[in-house]
Amino acid sequence: MIKVRFHGRGGQGMKTSSRILGTAAFLSGFFVQDFPIYGAERRGAPVVAFTIISKEPILERGYIFDPNILLISDETLLLDKQTDPTKGMSKESIVFINSNKNEDYFKEKIGAKVIVEDLTKIALEVLGRPILSTLIAGVAAKLVGIEQKYLEEAVKEELEQIGANEEMIRKNILAATIGYNKVQEVKIEQTESLEPEVKVVEVEYNDPEISTPVISFVANSYLKKTGTWRVFKPIIKYQKCKSCRLCYVYCPESAIKWENNFPVIDYENCKGCLICVQECPLKAIEIVREGE
Amino acid sequence: MEARKMKLEKKIKTIFDIPIQEYVAPGGIFCQGCGAILAARLILKLLGERTVVVNAAGCFTLAVVYPYTVFKASWLYTAMACAPAGAQGIRDALDILIEKRKIDKNEDLNILVVTGDGAASSIGLQSTITAIHRNLDFWYLAYDNQAFMNTGAQKTETTPFGAATSTTKPTSLSPLGTEQEPLDLFSVWVSAGAPYVATVSPSYPVDFLDKVERAKEIKGPKLFHCLSGCPPGWNYEPALTIKVGRLAVESGVWALKEAVNGTIKHTYIPKKRIPVEEYLKIQGRFEHLFKPVKNKEAIEEIQRKVDKYWEYELHDAK
Ligand SMILES: Cc1ncc(C[n+]2csc(CCOP(=O)(O)OP(=O)(O)O)c2C)c(N)n1
Ligand code: SF4
Ligand code: SF4
Ligand code: SF4
Ligand SMILES: [Mg+2]
Repeated sequence: MIKVRFHGRGGQGMKTSSRILGTAAFLSGFFVQDFPIYGAERRGAPVVAFTIISKEPILERGYIFDPNILLISDETLLLDKQTDPTKGMSKESIVFINSNKNEDYFKEKIGAKVIVEDLTKIALEVLGRPILSTLIAGVAAKLVGIEQKYLEEAVKEELEQIGANEEMIRKNILAATIGYNKVQEVKIEQTESLEPEVKVVEVEYNDPEISTPVISFVANSYLKKTGTWRVFKPIIKYQKCKSCRLCYVYCPESAIKWENNFPVIDYENCKGCLICVQECPLKAIEIVREGE
Repeated sequence: MEARKMKLEKKIKTIFDIPIQEYVAPGGIFCQGCGAILAARLILKLLGERTVVVNAAGCFTLAVVYPYTVFKASWLYTAMACAPAGAQGIRDALDILIEKRKIDKNEDLNILVVTGDGAASSIGLQSTITAIHRNLDFWYLAYDNQAFMNTGAQKTETTPFGAATSTTKPTSLSPLGTEQEPLDLFSVWVSAGAPYVATVSPSYPVDFLDKVERAKEIKGPKLFHCLSGCPPGWNYEPALTIKVGRLAVESGVWALKEAVNGTIKHTYIPKKRIPVEEYLKIQGRFEHLFKPVKNKEAIEEIQRKVDKYWEYELHDAK
């Protein structure tokens, strides 16, 4: 049995990745389960999906706590304590990370077999958008050793189902193939999770006054630092700025502060929607790819 | 009479009149380029932190996820059908506290219901109508992304004719996607007798906030029905949220207006309306009207309805 866990951000397409891998494995003759964690569907918010592949019928149900393969589509998720994508992995787990950094950068931190590729760059070139579903599915299919023809068939089937047109399907089959050829098949070692067994804790009845969550802080969400969501970074060229305030007023989530009569971007929180770039009448805000 | 008085007192005249105080923090789990949170950020600039936000299930559910909140204001979460009932409870509690002199009159709070169109136009309409009927003194920001977005873009009562949603996918049998006309929430509120009803757009923040500032003088239910661009649900790039809203208004698809004690007035009349096609074609939810072959009939029908609306409204205004 191979357990694959996908971590990404809403909009990158991890749910689709897990489905494509599942369908490709099914077409190759395996028993398969694939499913995401149900939650609000939000672009940028952490997303988790799973695929289980087996030669025997799969009797277990539920999330994967001890993955053989982890695919992390956004390295900034490693910093997200709530998601904690490497949770439950063992020394033998294989961790694939999409990043423009090199493997050594992650090796020490993660302490498992790490494979790193800059898939976002390929997605931007091939698809024109930072959508990673088919690239990651390609990587996953190769790692677990599925034949390329089943991968291609699965991409087609899954994308048709979500209403993609022929051109998108063609481009995505190309993307999947590129992902497939970026990595080598790996040997999957069956191991036990390093996590201690999960204990069921009984929660006693408490008066709602005690048991209802109350947040006594105000406006503390900035601590979550959604700046990690950015693919592109807006940069204000102050020589060109005429302090018209449009970028400031239109920034959806107050990630632009108004200081000394100029806009100042709060990069810890700017999500990189690029509304400010689009709306600046003087083209005073430029774009660079994050991390460059 | 009151309408006339309000017209004279335009309070937010330019973008520089919009306060730079912030009452919504970044870091909420809203998509990049979310028009709905922008609308909430703007309205709270004028209502301030002495406000209780009452919210029903929808995308704003994740505005407050323990232990984080995006709001400086207080926040109460209700079941989807009954945000206005939650507002009533808070109003009653405040009134009693003031009457018993437990709090001072100037410690009173604004009550702002914030819900999506699904709650505002279908699931929560009953509790809304009854709150209007009781003349409850509260504000209502209905951010209208024209579908049940939090659960994956299912059609609501305000989904426009011709839009694709996950429950009205265009097929060969039903090539339009959504076949119904959207419910006119503005008229529902006006006919229910609400003293202040407005349509707004975050792309027109001066118009929006001027309405909020002037409405402060009115006691009773106050609606701000806000067309709020939704990048994933409408399928366009996040950077285009403001532009989409602007095209909606300039094409006449979204009319900016207000009704003060039943007297309706357009607060912005596009000088020369651009073709609705400009608005439709940049959104993926209307792509099937253009590809693989252009559905001229449907686009013309949408244009015709918009033209008819303005012909009637402008004639009436003269
Ligand atoms: C009575 C009830 N029915 C269904 C749901 C499931 N539900 C949660 S959020 C949501 C969508 C709300 O849509 P809308 O009010 O338009 O807000 P949006 O998600 O678009 O922000 C639904 C249907 C619910 N919470 N309660
Ligand atoms: S990119 Fe978006 S979030 Fe970032 S500063 Fe510009 S408008 Fe604000
Ligand atoms: S929109 Fe452009 S010109 Fe205006 S304040 Fe922002 S950066 Fe300056
Ligand atoms: S789905 Fe739409 S309304 Fe909901 S958070 Fe995302 S952009 Fe905003
Ligand atoms: Mg909605």
